Amino acid sequence: MSEKSYRDAIREAMMEEMDRDPNVLIMGEDIGVYEGTFRITAGMLKKYGGKRVIDTPIAEAGMVGTAVGMAMLGLRPIVEMMTMNFAIVAADQILNHAAKVRYFSGGQVDVPVVIRGPQGAGVQLSAQHSQTFESFYAHFPGIKVVAPATPADAKGLLKTSIRGRDPVIFLESAALYGMKGEVPDDPNFTVPFGVSRIAREGSDVTIVSYSRMLQMSLIAAEKLSQDEGIECEVIDLRTLRPLDLEPAYASVTKTHRCVVVQEQWKPFGAAAEIAASITETVFDELDAPVARVTGEDVPMPYARNLELLATPHEQHVIAAVKKVMYNHG
Amino acid sequence: MADVIMPKMGDAMTEGKVIRWYKNSGDAVKKGEPLLEIETDKVNLDLEAEQDGTLGDVAAAAGQMVEVGGVLATILAEGEKAAPKPAAPVAVPAKEQDSKPAPDNAPSRRAIDKKDSIKKSTGEYGEAIDMKAPRIDRTAPAANVVAMPQAEGGRRRSSPLARKMARDMGVSLEQIQGSGPGGRIVASDIKNFKPAAAPAQQKPKAPSLPPVQQLETKDIPLSAMRRTIAKRLAESTGPIPHFYLTAEYDVTNLLALREQLNEIEGIKTSVNDFIVRAAALAIRHHPNVNASWGDDAITQHGEVHIGIAVSTPEGLITPVVRNADEKSVSDIAAEVRSLADKAKNRKLTPNEYQGSTFTISNLGAWGIEQFTAIINPPNVAILAIGAATAQPVVIDRQVVIRDRMKVTMSCDHRVVDGALGAEYLRTLRAYVEQPLRLVL
Repeated sequence: MSEKSYRDAIREAMMEEMDRDPNVLIMGEDIGVYEGTFRITAGMLKKYGGKRVIDTPIAEAGMVGTAVGMAMLGLRPIVEMMTMNFAIVAADQILNHAAKVRYFSGGQVDVPVVIRGPQGAGVQLSAQHSQTFESFYAHFPGIKVVAPATPADAKGLLKTSIRGRDPVIFLESAALYGMKGEVPDDPNFTVPFGVSRIAREGSDVTIVSYSRMLQMSLIAAEKLSQDEGIECEVIDLRTLRPLDLEPAYASVTKTHRCVVVQEQWKPFGAAAEIAASITETVFDELDAPVARVTGEDVPMPYARNLELLATPHEQHVIAAVKKVMYNHG
Repeated sequence: MADVIMPKMGDAMTEGKVIRWYKNSGDAVKKGEPLLEIETDKVNLDLEAEQDGTLGDVAAAAGQMVEVGGVLATILAEGEKAAPKPAAPVAVPAKEQDSKPAPDNAPSRRAIDKKDSIKKSTGEYGEAIDMKAPRIDRTAPAANVVAMPQAEGGRRRSSPLARKMARDMGVSLEQIQGSGPGGRIVASDIKNFKPAAAPAQQKPKAPSLPPVQQLETKDIPLSAMRRTIAKRLAESTGPIPHFYLTAEYDVTNLLALREQLNEIEGIKTSVNDFIVRAAALAIRHHPNVNASWGDDAITQHGEVHIGIAVSTPEGLITPVVRNADEKSVSDIAAEVRSLADKAKNRKLTPNEYQGSTFTISNLGAWGIEQFTAIINPPNVAILAIGAATAQPVVIDRQVVIRDRMKVTMSCDHRVVDGALGAEYLRTLRAYVEQPLRLVL
């Protein structure tokens, strides 16, 4: 175990997998000579050379299309999107090709491609560069959607992504790149898909979240514990497809109250899917409607004060927890 | 010229009452058109014109009793003139016109209908929807729709967990004040709830009393139906030497079977439907209880027609399930329901209430555990069915709770002797206590 940043954990995962399997390669904009806009790929071109660390033109559809072809023929490409916002350009390659090839080929052809990059608000990148995409991709069958909240999970889940048979949308939180945490050193450490974890135990309210909002929920839970004596159980979903809500169901069965936290817009978001599943499955356990904490329903403003107003914060989670406890005091 | 006469709507009918005229003297009438409504001792029905023409003199005003065969009016064919008679009932048509409105509730029904459709429509199309919407009588209870019991003060909001806890604890939400938004009852309300007296909630609710009525001295005119009931039942207990036999049956299995049957889509049976079938099947073993007394001979009937006592606001009537021994429980259930509905609306036709060979009266629904019924002549026996109640019973030297039901048979001793009645009840026991026999 050693302390590493989320950024370093991602790099380490890629390099360990490139060491392990010569079919693994990475391509993207400014990832080679420039070593990555967020410095994720620092040192990689030097170590693996231009055949495995490929600087591409600004052409996301071409990058993903190329990677899908590579994957169909046995390579294991990683495509770095400068931000996940740019992957929209490649949506047809991702959703209509990567996600469909196994189905169309009657199971004969896998597409083990990993499309990864940062997403989310909080670093003043304005409306086009601050969006989150988990509900967009998780809607489609045929792809996996991963959203790690810790350095260890970032590493373990990325290694699972690279080793797997499926196209993976690997959503990194731009605001978490500098976050540090304990990461196992074992090069065979992986985190399986579809296994949620209990990030904090508690008996009063269940908070369900993922990625950066999970970290924020943990801070809110600590404040609630210290200031109010309310103990929240915090569930980290880790992957949205596959989605493992069993720990959430078990937790709600214990607490009878649930708050779901997501970073972005409320309508048709991941929180809606999660809240609906909880209501369907453990309806009789609920003592209050499942509450959602989400971002404001606007394009993300550039101005720092407005960006802060448009994104969820601890006090929103605290208010939602009190609401489901019928505690307005 | 043709006379409109009071018809004989059954053997027992001697007279009928004119309820209202739809046509006035001088009105043109067509064959098949209803002329007037009459009340017999069992039903109300419309009399239709038997030929085209003009309604001549009306001989019987509304409210008047007319003997069977008595002339009510005449219909004049084209060109015919009314016989120049003194116009005795001259005042009648005018009066009838006043009391002629179509069904009493029509105006208010329409008003409600209109309001309803406006409420349901939206925006500028409201008017069009109102005009075009089919006139559905939304005030009438829809068939097959079971009305939700209206909780006092509307629906009580409660969280799913609160409902579950209340169920588990046997607490009624109606006793609890909700502390959540909008008065929602939440888990803490259930947890903090202190029942006033713990055992009190376990007790079934005290039966509610019927409303207190104004006490007054008054004469209630005898309806034709009430007259008939009085006459026939007096004829019964007077000349018929009654005796009574009571048996108690274990109906636990029957109730379970009924529950199973009712789980099948589209089947709805009552306990009485099973009893009707059981009684009919038992008659096959003892046809001498399916008989009538005559001065020269006892007539034993070749078919089993079970009369079922149905209470209506006007009084008692016994619609008949014909060949009940050949019908399934679910067929009997459907038929009895239909007959009971007709009886309550006084729409039974004579062949639907005449010709029973055996009768069943069931007061179980009123909580009566045992009673004796008066034979419905010309039957020679009637079964009085009580309520099924849970009773401690000793079986294999163990006290167990079983559902029991008391059945009392009234017999006409001229035809049915004690032993025969007892044998019939023993056979009936086999059907009731081993109810699979009823579905064989």
